[in-house]
Amino acid sequence: MPNLSTVFSDVGYAHFLVLGAVLFAIGVGGVLLRRNALIIMMSIELMLNAGNLTILTFARMHGDLGGHSFAMIVMAVAAAEVAVGLAIVVAIFRGRRHVDVDRMNLLKH
Amino acid sequence: MNFATGDALYIAPILILALAGLLLVLAEAFYTGKDRTALAGLAVAGGVAAAVASIALYRHMDPGTHRYLYGEMLVADRTGYALSALLSVVIALAALVAPAHMRAHDWAIGEYFGILLLAGTGMLMLAHASHLATVFLGVETMSIGVYVMTALRRRSRRGNEAAMKYFLMGAFATGFLLYGMALVYGATGTTSLVAVRERLASGNLALLTVGTFMMVAAFAFKVAAVPFHMWAPDAYEGAPTPVTAFMAAAVKVAAVAAMIRVFGQFLGGEKLPYGTLGWASPMVVLAAITITVGNIAAIRQDNVKRMLAYSSISHGGVLLVGLCAMGLGSPSGQSALVYYLIAYALTTMGAFAVVSYVGSKQNERLGIDDWAGLASKHPAAALAMTVCLLSLGGMPPTGGFFAKWYVFKSAMDAQDQQLLWVTIIGVVNSAVSIFYYLKLVTAMYFKDATGEFTPSRSAGLTFTMALCAVVVLAMGLFPTTWLGFGG
Amino acid sequence: MTARVLTAILAVLFVVLAFDAGAAHAQGAVAPVDAKVGPAPDFDPPRSATTAGKTVSKRDSVASPAPGAPTNAAAKRTKGGMVFAFWGFAALTVLGSLFVITRRNLITAVMGMVGTFFALAALYMLLYAHFLAIIQMLVYAGAIMVLFVFVIMILNKPEDEPFALSGRVGKVLAGLATTYLVFRIGSVLIDVPSHVTIAQNAAPAKTAAGDDWGSTAAVGMNLFNDYLFPFEAVSLTLLIAVVGAIAIARPLKDDEPAAEAATTGGH
Repeated sequence: MPNLSTVFSDVGYAHFLVLGAVLFAIGVGGVLLRRNALIIMMSIELMLNAGNLTILTFARMHGDLGGHSFAMIVMAVAAAEVAVGLAIVVAIFRGRRHVDVDRMNLLKH
Repeated sequence: MNFATGDALYIAPILILALAGLLLVLAEAFYTGKDRTALAGLAVAGGVAAAVASIALYRHMDPGTHRYLYGEMLVADRTGYALSALLSVVIALAALVAPAHMRAHDWAIGEYFGILLLAGTGMLMLAHASHLATVFLGVETMSIGVYVMTALRRRSRRGNEAAMKYFLMGAFATGFLLYGMALVYGATGTTSLVAVRERLASGNLALLTVGTFMMVAAFAFKVAAVPFHMWAPDAYEGAPTPVTAFMAAAVKVAAVAAMIRVFGQFLGGEKLPYGTLGWASPMVVLAAITITVGNIAAIRQDNVKRMLAYSSISHGGVLLVGLCAMGLGSPSGQSALVYYLIAYALTTMGAFAVVSYVGSKQNERLGIDDWAGLASKHPAAALAMTVCLLSLGGMPPTGGFFAKWYVFKSAMDAQDQQLLWVTIIGVVNSAVSIFYYLKLVTAMYFKDATGEFTPSRSAGLTFTMALCAVVVLAMGLFPTTWLGFGG
Repeated sequence: MTARVLTAILAVLFVVLAFDAGAAHAQGAVAPVDAKVGPAPDFDPPRSATTAGKTVSKRDSVASPAPGAPTNAAAKRTKGGMVFAFWGFAALTVLGSLFVITRRNLITAVMGMVGTFFALAALYMLLYAHFLAIIQMLVYAGAIMVLFVFVIMILNKPEDEPFALSGRVGKVLAGLATTYLVFRIGSVLIDVPSHVTIAQNAAPAKTAAGDDWGSTAAVGMNLFNDYLFPFEAVSLTLLIAVVGAIAIARPLKDDEPAAEAATTGGH
């Protein structure tokens, strides 16, 4: 464990990693708590960004540029995913005028 | 440059699918005819060509050899080509069964075929993946394609709702997958699975374990393992039947193929999964819960598609047993898994083809009661369905029996206490599962028809049903021949 | 859709259990947890001299910084700025993301998201990922968020009730699960060797081709050599997204028959 007296003045890799973990958890919390499909999608974007931040921190730590390329590909994929997700949201909204996932109950259990 | 010029030859199946997909996207844009289903021909040709290329490359590779492509991005070996041949065939069949369903339910959308093949490239990537980047990209290419296909029946609110649920769950799983990969990368300093395996001993074990666990959770979403299965029945029910068939057969095969690579080959072997990594212990538990819950839920269903969805969930559990056995170093694990995947994919494809055949215009006939008396009106379809159901239930003359037999045998070979218990649970559940499969068989053969059947006939559907039934029987009659494909 | 919430909670629990197992394994680990693996960057000073908690004078005694690195005096001068930048942008990131998951108004949520993305881009710069920082701004803040804004403008509906888990119990449970997740991930990550503080470090060594680490040229060389296959293959993913998004979202034509009757069959 790092010394508490220097935790604010000595910024190291662990700081970036823990920030990534916090961001990831906030994203998970958003998926758990919210019911608007758009907000859930944004929370998922937060999770992906947490992953990217972690990858880039480790890339710096290991001195490996492969992580940068990986993060770049993740960004492209995230953009593709968002495009499809928003298209689905628009299609749903055309039919029922709301995007509340708790009220989507045509498919019953 | 760290790749040889000959590498392109080894990814010929992927290139063929990509090329056919691009052609289909173009063809859709410039197509002037009224009936979009004519595009199916090109899609089937693409799938068959990819299957032929896979088989040719399978024969070209010597058994037990492998070759890394594009700087350890992909690995070419017999297992990979066997799986990519299977996936290509399933893709071709999914294109073949679609036109009849499109005509019957008015959703002739040409993009289906292009996206089908492009999503297929992602699946083939997974079958050959040896790098975290290709695993991630393959999973996403496949998933994004399937989200789109689920939503393609645009007037159907059920379809849209299914797509939304599937999308949100899938994207959530992607977040876990990426974060898990990031931690594995941090633990070992490399994204190449080959190098990850080399550095397992020297890596940061705490990070590695957490990263691996997150990847297990993400893949559990993709194969719809309990408790990450909630999206599956809704998505299966809401999607158009050909898409459901594709989802149940191809997506599961591709996800398990990726798990064979990641967990079985690169993170498994030599008791590693328990000793230092521990991914097998949650997977064993997941497998036991998945088999049981899938079966119990399937008993309660009176909708054929939902019943098949839960059945597919329960089969995912058996596949996880096989993965654990393989990861724990069971010598027969990998070939048993490949045999199971072939049997499962073709059986599921055949069953959903019959579902698509039975549904007519304006009435999909998804209730089990709607199937009453099918045998007297359409004996061939009922026979094909019976063969598929028997295979799903693991009855002796079919491929499904030997599939379960080999997987459970490989689990015994692993000589592991936990796996032994899961095997017992699996065998008991197989016996239970026969009950609900027979419920449908009984309805078809021993009940009187309630109304007139006007099935959606097409040569493609007939061919698919016949092919799947024949292959499933052939797998049961000559099991050792098919077992050899696993390499 | 309680299934989503249930699944998500189970996923969190699963991972939480994973951490316990991970910690258990790490106890009896063959290798020390902080063992460095892979090609260690050559700018790492020896650990003994730089362990966190040592005084500044001790840190000043670090011998021979890597060639091209600023002198210790310069490092000390920039350090305050770096630390300040990290905490500032980290706070902005967390605040922005909290905005996303708490605001009822969707546009406010998107603005929080934009703030998060900009702050993340700045953090990438601190990590010498200059090219990725620019891409982050272009792709996320530029393209993805604009897409979100457009869709929100089309829908133009604020959420009625922003929290899905009805009842205080559900919210508290979700909050606890999430907090525990942070705690457990954090407890693993905090042990990552952080003795090499970012503030002390100058630019990483240049690549073999002589480009600055993390620059466009260096990332480009990596992207078109090691990552050539995924780079080409991602174009197929994007193609699926483009074609698929249009196929799903384009307006319905009048001559397309309603399919809802067809889907109700069998129920």
